Amino acid sequence: MPGLTLENTAIVLDSTGDPPKGYVDTPGIFVVPLTVHFGDESYRDGVDLDHGQFFAKLQASSVLPTTSQPTVADFLAVYREVRATYDHVFSLHLSSKMSGTYGAASRAAEAVDGVDVYDTKTVTAPITLLAERLRARLAQGCSLAEARDYIAYFIANEKLLIHAATLEYLRRGGRIGRAASLVGDVFDIKPLITNVDGELAGYAKVRGLKKAFAAMERFLDENSRPDDTVYFAVIEALNDTEPAQIRELIEQARPNAEFVFATQVGAVVGTHIGPGAAAFTMIVE
Amino acid sequence: MNVRAAALTVIEAALAAVEAERGLINDLNVYPVPDGDTGTNLALTVRAVVDELRQGDEDGVPAVAAAVTKGSLMGARGNSGVILSQIVRGVCDVWSASDLLGAHEFKAALAEGASAAYRAVKEPVEGTMLTVIREMAAAAQGVPDSFALDKVLVVVEEAGRVAVEKTTDQLPALQKAGVVDAGGYGLLVLLRGVAEGLARVAAGGAGVRGATLAPRAPGAPPVTLTQPSELSRYRYCTSLLIKGECVDRDAVEAFLGRIGDSALVVGDERLVKIHVHTDDPGVVLSEVLRYGAIGEVEINDMHEQTRARDDRLGAPPEAPATVVVAVVAGEGNKRLFRELGCHAIVDGGQSMNPSAAQLLEAVETLAADEVILLPNNGNVILTAEQAAGMSRRRIAVVPTTSMPAGLAAMVAFTADDDAVGNARAMENALRGLRSAEITHAVRDSEVDGVVVRKGQAIGLVDGRLVTVADDLETVYAGVVQAFAAADAEVVTVLTALNGSPTTAARLAEVAASVAPDLEVHIYEGGQPLYPILAGAE
Repeated sequence: MPGLTLENTAIVLDSTGDPPKGYVDTPGIFVVPLTVHFGDESYRDGVDLDHGQFFAKLQASSVLPTTSQPTVADFLAVYREVRATYDHVFSLHLSSKMSGTYGAASRAAEAVDGVDVYDTKTVTAPITLLAERLRARLAQGCSLAEARDYIAYFIANEKLLIHAATLEYLRRGGRIGRAASLVGDVFDIKPLITNVDGELAGYAKVRGLKKAFAAMERFLDENSRPDDTVYFAVIEALNDTEPAQIRELIEQARPNAEFVFATQVGAVVGTHIGPGAAAFTMIVE
Repeated sequence: MNVRAAALTVIEAALAAVEAERGLINDLNVYPVPDGDTGTNLALTVRAVVDELRQGDEDGVPAVAAAVTKGSLMGARGNSGVILSQIVRGVCDVWSASDLLGAHEFKAALAEGASAAYRAVKEPVEGTMLTVIREMAAAAQGVPDSFALDKVLVVVEEAGRVAVEKTTDQLPALQKAGVVDAGGYGLLVLLRGVAEGLARVAAGGAGVRGATLAPRAPGAPPVTLTQPSELSRYRYCTSLLIKGECVDRDAVEAFLGRIGDSALVVGDERLVKIHVHTDDPGVVLSEVLRYGAIGEVEINDMHEQTRARDDRLGAPPEAPATVVVAVVAGEGNKRLFRELGCHAIVDGGQSMNPSAAQLLEAVETLAADEVILLPNNGNVILTAEQAAGMSRRRIAVVPTTSMPAGLAAMVAFTADDDAVGNARAMENALRGLRSAEITHAVRDSEVDGVVVRKGQAIGLVDGRLVTVADDLETVYAGVVQAFAAADAEVVTVLTALNGSPTTAARLAEVAASVAPDLEVHIYEGGQPLYPILAGAE
């Protein structure tokens, strides 16, 4: 049986994977947008509104945005189009505990052969990091079983740590999961949030940047050893200083670390995380 | 009783049944959109049939069956209403071909109802009312022809109930919400109503036999939400009737597929009911006007409906596993403690230490068995431990000796952990914490070998005098420097500067100039006696 390659295999993401600008132009990469609503106006995440436009609008708007998932028909159209060119499709989506997107993708995939749909049990850049690490394997050529095994490994082992500037947006959107009891936005506490079983959960409550970075280092130590090869990506939501500092922290603590990309949250993740957050995601291989 | 009166009796019973459970059916509604209106849509669809039957007077099965079909089509609202209208149409098609409704005809009618419903939906989804009507019809076919209609109804009801219960596992959206399908349950409720109506008709001697079914629990617990629902991709649920000469239903369906989802196009070429979820109902209206006159226009904002349902069903916050009782002085400080999750506050302060009885009283007002006590003053620790010993609850005293220490402990508090776990985390947070008190000397004295005159400002760090000066700012600068020399990272300052020339802004400037690397957070504490309290972590 012929193996999977970048030429015969496509990866479909939804826009909550927060891919870097221009990533959608990568051959074999397809991004299905969720939708952000400001009152009566609807915008496709990453298509009609990018990071900067979204936060400008958020600041100017008197109504708070809401978000909605793509429809089954949206996924069907993309799968049919992609399958016309590619033999196999991996469709990677945000945690089913945060959105019905995975459900819609699964239903669409029932009608199209050769589409593997995954609940990545996470949200934002880890999904794109998975796509990139999968592409690294496709570039070498791999079997379907190897690709599936890697995706399962990634989903089970990926780590995400978000340094939130505020909990207000997460609370309002109800996407706070197990972090619901976290105190935030008082006493200058900036919580660190991770994902556990597809839900956001509090990792630490810290005051001040120094303590935040100390907690990030602790998180790194809990989830990797000094000589590990850590593939990582950094993410920001209207925070242009912290990503570089996070990158420096990881590269100093893990000499074998491989920086994969830096990105910004899109409109949908931005709606739920609010301005000021910074985060990183990592996978040890 | 004539046929029209009998039909009216049966359908009025169905309407009463669905009206009685309308609220529950609305609450169950999460799929395809959690807009909470399935009960309302079904009830209004059935009501339209009742209205249609009351309007005419022509008797005989064909005329009455046609009226029922027409009424349900005219009144169909929402996904569930339109699908119901197709079930009704299938049933009536079979009924009108035979004069009497016996077990045999009922079985055939249900089968046709199920198949008409499936035909209406382009991409049928299992775990919905489609599944329930199919299972009901299949169960009916298994009943021998020798059984009477009331026996068939019992079998159908049982099969419907089982099918409804199974819907939860068939659709991820239902499983996530922990509910059965609203439309499927609504259909079961309607069947029970129909059965009761048939029994009533039988009692009146119209020759139709039915059975009264005991209403059974649907197995659905009260619906509550743990998080707000995700909104539908399309905002407006739009349904309307097109009356034309030759409506091209395929063209209408293709158009609806382009501008939205959940599209349904039913009826015949002269009277077509359409249903679609779209962002632009206006485009739908102007497009379908090309095919004929429009009526029964119904447009609902599903985003608004979803929010209303969320508001109705929002779950109350979970009770905390552990509560905190703290001894605090000063309005600003009390507010900080409360914001950090402290549940009860006992007034305290240097000269107004609370008694063990007061602490116990505060503990007893709270519901949790696990309690953390924060004395926030060295002189209150013993009292707090006494109180802990007198209570039957698990009380852990975390020996905080100052207000800043108490706040640092609160930062480590996790309401869903137990008292012991919280005490450990809080004590960890207190490790290396330094507390400072800045006040004015009340008399001349000599402290730690330093001469202090009455009215001078003095600064103590962990109880030891570190600076003396004539003004607060100089002493404050000395305290901040002492913190910086001890490798502090974050400093918390609680002020009570009323009547003092010093301001919080000034304190921030002083700290920035003497220790630019320190993160200093200043809050208005309002404590008595001490213009400034500070803590360094």
